[in-house]
Amino acid sequence: MNWKVGFIVCAVAACVVPFVSPNYMLTVIIEALIFGLFAMSLDLLVGYTRLYSFGHVAAYGLGAYTSALLLLHFNLPLPVTIVLAVAISTAIATPIAWVCTRTHGVSFAMLTLAFAQLGYAMIYRFKDFTGGSDGLTGIPRPEGPFGLDFFQSKIGYFYMVLFCLLGSFLLCRALVNSPFGTVLSGIRENEAKTAALGYNTRAYKRVIVILAYAFGSLAGALYAPFAGFASPELFFWLISGTVLIMVIVGGSGTLIGPIIGGVFFLMLENQLSEVTDLWPLIFGSVFIAFVMLAPQGIWGILTARFKKPAVLPQGGADGETTSAPS
Amino acid sequence: MPLLECRGLTRRFGALVAVDSVDMTVEPGEIRAVIGPNGAGKSTLFNVITGVLAASDGEAFFMDQNITGLPVEQVVQKGISRTFQLTHLFPELTARENVRISAQARQPGRWTMLGGAQVLQESTTQADQALERLHLSRFADVPANMLSHGDQRLLEIAMAVSQAPKLLMLDEPTQGLSIEETDRAVTILRDMLSDGDLTVVLVEHDMEVVFKLAHRITVLHQGRVIADDTPDKVKESNEVQQAYLGGFE
Ligand SMILES: Nc1ncnc2c1ncn2[C@@H]1O[C@H](COP(=O)(O)OP(=O)(O)O)[C@@H](O)[C@H]1O
Ligand SMILES: [Mg+2]
Repeated sequence: MNWKVGFIVCAVAACVVPFVSPNYMLTVIIEALIFGLFAMSLDLLVGYTRLYSFGHVAAYGLGAYTSALLLLHFNLPLPVTIVLAVAISTAIATPIAWVCTRTHGVSFAMLTLAFAQLGYAMIYRFKDFTGGSDGLTGIPRPEGPFGLDFFQSKIGYFYMVLFCLLGSFLLCRALVNSPFGTVLSGIRENEAKTAALGYNTRAYKRVIVILAYAFGSLAGALYAPFAGFASPELFFWLISGTVLIMVIVGGSGTLIGPIIGGVFFLMLENQLSEVTDLWPLIFGSVFIAFVMLAPQGIWGILTARFKKPAVLPQGGADGETTSAPS
Repeated sequence: MPLLECRGLTRRFGALVAVDSVDMTVEPGEIRAVIGPNGAGKSTLFNVITGVLAASDGEAFFMDQNITGLPVEQVVQKGISRTFQLTHLFPELTARENVRISAQARQPGRWTMLGGAQVLQESTTQADQALERLHLSRFADVPANMLSHGDQRLLEIAMAVSQAPKLLMLDEPTQGLSIEETDRAVTILRDMLSDGDLTVVLVEHDMEVVFKLAHRITVLHQGRVIADDTPDKVKESNEVQQAYLGGFE
């Protein structure tokens, strides 16, 4: 019941927000939703599979630059470009996933970081193509197909981002609840046991890394045309850390939590950085507070009262003996 | 045709020969115990057969197929399910989900990424049957880490049994259990084995348990097989008595 109420509230809010919020605020909200999507994609790895990626920004940067380059060179309709950008990014992610999943734990984290740094370096190396430190500017938002052009306005873009976020959320939710998704939870809990049960765990990890890159690149592919530019900052390693913190503060192991974490932090940053330059300090403090006091995150706190704690059935040493007729 | 056949199976750790040219043949329907003092190489033998560890030498055949060197997940897919000496579970998942994930591993639909209700449904049914068989039904919705040590041992067996394995390999199922817990576990195991649908290789240090359950016993000592016989014969063997320094009782 309660989640239905929540859903209706969110739906109404989504319809109303673009019309009541000031133009500037709407920009922030759109960027926050995009970052929420990005954070959610990382949680497929962190929360669902316990694969700590320190280089998830690579997915974001890849999506952003791919869509920017496609738009600048081919001027295809925006939705088509976004789909293509995700497809290309996913293809590039495939060998990366293959290499990274040959390792575990810290090595995995370091390898993902290394690939993100490689992306960062390549932006500078191929600056004729990528614009180097100047980035790519003047990215258009071509209309079509079928004469669609609503996303050329800011309000229209808001709805497109919302649609992508909701669609990704529903896809990811189906994914984590599918047979495949339950294998991920096995890997998270005990990878050696999962393999000993007959699962090729490396193959499962490879697929989820590719999918996390796919959804992460969608966020990037939405960002560049909205901002109108792509800069090397979109590959900057610090963002990998920031988004990891958003996942944990929002509530890892859930899909909504990271979305909330991403949106919450981006809005907070935007509000606070206007009044104080202590923002990084506040960001860090909030993170520490959550890790120490509420490791289940924002979403965990919000849903705690709906969860029934598990209880061990009581009885004799053997439950059957208590109910056996004498 | 024997179900499992080991020919000269060997595993070295540096200079130590933990498993030393072991020959062993297990027929379908058999309950085989592997016994031997601590460090005799029983767990290592399990690990080499199931592909958790690579063999240094020798071969293992399962239903006449050479399974030496196959990765563990492929060995399982051939029909060998096992438990570990140290309990291996998914601690935060419910007992049912532990077993269900195990049962799902043998289903062709295990890769289904969207939907898959049918796969989930079928594996749940298999899980509930296995839980029932190990007398764990009432714990189905409890996270595995809340169960007693004894029930955790049984849960891991339920996971293996849910895969309807052709060969079930149990590494010291009563390890670390109290006397009462051991009695209960043995009763449940005997119940389970009396259905006659399982072929089992069982490592066990408790001789009482072994003589109650096994049809045939392989005795390992310092990696080598020093006896391979019926329980009665093994009981009488001098060499086995000496390996155990002071005998069974
Ligand atoms: N991974 C390993 N590395 C090195 N030595 C090992 C390893 N596993 C087992 N051993 C050694 O191999 C011998 C047999 O061990 P194990 O198979 O566990 O015996 P058991 O199960 O019969 O008690 C022991 O001496 C043990 O120390
Ligand atoms: Mg052992």
